[in-house]
Amino acid sequence: MIIQTKGITKIYNPNKIPVNALNGVDLQIEEGEFTAIVGPSGSGKTTLLNIIGGLDQATQGEVLIKGENISKMPDNQLIDFRKNNIGFVFQAYNLIPVLTAKENVGFVMLLQNRSKEERDQRVLELLQSVGLEDKVNKRPSELSGGQQQRVAVARALAPKPAFILADEPTANLDSVSTNNLLDIMARLNEEEKMTFIFSTHDQRVIDRARRVITLVDGKIASDQVKS
Amino acid sequence: MILIMAWRNIWRNPTRSWVVIAAIALGIWAAIFMSGFATGMMNSYVDGAISNIVGHIQIHHPSFQEDKETKYIISELDLLTEEIKNYNNLKAMSLRSIGTGMIASSKGARGIEIQGVDPDSEATVRQLDTKIIDGDYLNVEKRNPILISQRIADKLNVKIRSRVVLTFQDLEGEIISAAFRVNGIFDTKNNQFDEGHAFVLRSDLNRLLGADPNDAHEVGILLSEKEEIKNIVPQWASKFPSTKVEPYYIISPDLQLYESQMSSITMIYLVVILLALIFGIINTMLMTILERLRELGMLMAIGMNKVRVFLMIVLETFMLSFVGVPLGLLLGTLTISYFGQKGLNLSAFSESMQMYGMSDMVYFDLPAATYWQVPLLVGITALMASIYPAIKAIRLKPVEAIRKL
Ligand SMILES: Nc1ncnc2c1ncn2[C@@H]1O[C@H](COP(=O)(O)OP(=O)(O)O)[C@@H](O)[C@H]1O
Ligand SMILES: [Mg+2]
Repeated sequence: MIIQTKGITKIYNPNKIPVNALNGVDLQIEEGEFTAIVGPSGSGKTTLLNIIGGLDQATQGEVLIKGENISKMPDNQLIDFRKNNIGFVFQAYNLIPVLTAKENVGFVMLLQNRSKEERDQRVLELLQSVGLEDKVNKRPSELSGGQQQRVAVARALAPKPAFILADEPTANLDSVSTNNLLDIMARLNEEEKMTFIFSTHDQRVIDRARRVITLVDGKIASDQVKS
Repeated sequence: MILIMAWRNIWRNPTRSWVVIAAIALGIWAAIFMSGFATGMMNSYVDGAISNIVGHIQIHHPSFQEDKETKYIISELDLLTEEIKNYNNLKAMSLRSIGTGMIASSKGARGIEIQGVDPDSEATVRQLDTKIIDGDYLNVEKRNPILISQRIADKLNVKIRSRVVLTFQDLEGEIISAAFRVNGIFDTKNNQFDEGHAFVLRSDLNRLLGADPNDAHEVGILLSEKEEIKNIVPQWASKFPSTKVEPYYIISPDLQLYESQMSSITMIYLVVILLALIFGIINTMLMTILERLRELGMLMAIGMNKVRVFLMIVLETFMLSFVGVPLGLLLGTLTISYFGQKGLNLSAFSESMQMYGMSDMVYFDLPAATYWQVPLLVGITALMASIYPAIKAIRLKPVEAIRKL
């Protein structure tokens, strides 16, 4: 088990107009899963992913990553924890605009002080596997939206994190790019045994997941594993 | 990589960055221009004082300057002058005997220092022969000739060939008087000096003082290299312990004060200008941070720690600030070297300039210290300007920044 949440509650603005974004979420995720968090807009998907990813703190409850409780970790330690254990793919603005695709993919590895040889090898390998070997030296502004998301997936994967969190990674993509990105994610899940957890409200994306967790009003309404 | 990112970040909004860079370059240029001008003025004053009044080095009897008593004649003068003449950086030397007393005409009297000089050698040290505006320079053929300044001539209401009476103490302490005839009237443009000095022949003054024809109270020396002063002064001082050998900056401490002030004047100008620029830099950096909230949030989300984010913002500020430095220095140096050669004509203000013993043309000069002061001060400015934006950046909460997607 790489992720375990225990009774996560999140209340925004507790002092003004409180918003109960999550109401006691218990969740377990095993290594190698390819899981979608689905639900209508405002159901708490982003909030849940942020708390699992150590970007936000739960009002109540605990998050254990590989058995380690990150709920009370101080800020600085949490940044390092994210760097070494979690890959992130956001809906947009994933990449550093002043760096090339290659530099973006190698960025987290650089923060980890990995050697240049190790980085270069891994980065080229990943850019190849997301089909962007000819865009190595392009800046994000020279890439299409789908290509940018593929670079983001490669970047998330580069430091070999425990799992990758992707919050609506296809929300801004057309259907061809969406399929393409999901193909790549599914293949990396197979080949690299990488755990993916992604949120979406797109039925075509939901269809590709092997496990579908549905949130309604901050609660898990259903949790289905396909065979 | 942080370095590369910082550098590329500056150029994301080239127009805005160039405005800051140009402002810094212009600020540096302005500071250099002003300090070059001020240094040029001071050089003109100091050089004027050296060539017209003090010379590079003066030698006296150790007690002479305190009470200016005529009995304090320089001992071993022959050995001393022999030594000086053999020094290869010697440009000119003049022996002077000096009496302090009164100059009087039928219209009035004034206190004055009477300097007995040898006309030819005195002309090589203080170009007094070129400052004659009426009559002639001292002439050994004449009997008791005297040179007085225009200002004294006006006050005593005397002209060329008028008779004036000098009254002073001789070696024995007796008060003596002697009549002199005005041979020439000079104007060095330094009012203070002009009002206090008159020149006669050394042979005449020594005869009246009851001294040997060869005696002197003062040796005035000009070197061909000003920088050699500090080397030769202690050498002569130890060789002739019964005399006092002093460079111009000891004799006229105000000259040294001016010279030393020059290096701090650039500093002052720069500090004022950079203080004004600091807010522009802070503002620019805050703008770049505001525009990049999401990006900074993303960087922290994927594991860039606060130290690195802070460093990146500080580096950006530094780079932004330093691009203008070579530009400003280059512009400034070019301007200074232009006005250093051509000079700036200030004859419109010559009245007030001459009062302070300066000439009409100002030849700009730059203290060498400027070349480390400018980068140093810009560095301090950049550091101060970067701290607030950098703190702003690390205070960001990644979730909030990313929420703005
Ligand atoms: N920073 C915030 N302050 C207040 N309310 C918030 C904040 N972020 C999210 N919410 C609220 O929390 C609920 C869940 O939001 P979110 O997790 O973004 O849902 P989803 O990603 O499924 O659309 C929504 O009602 C949303 O309005
Ligand atoms: Mg969302």
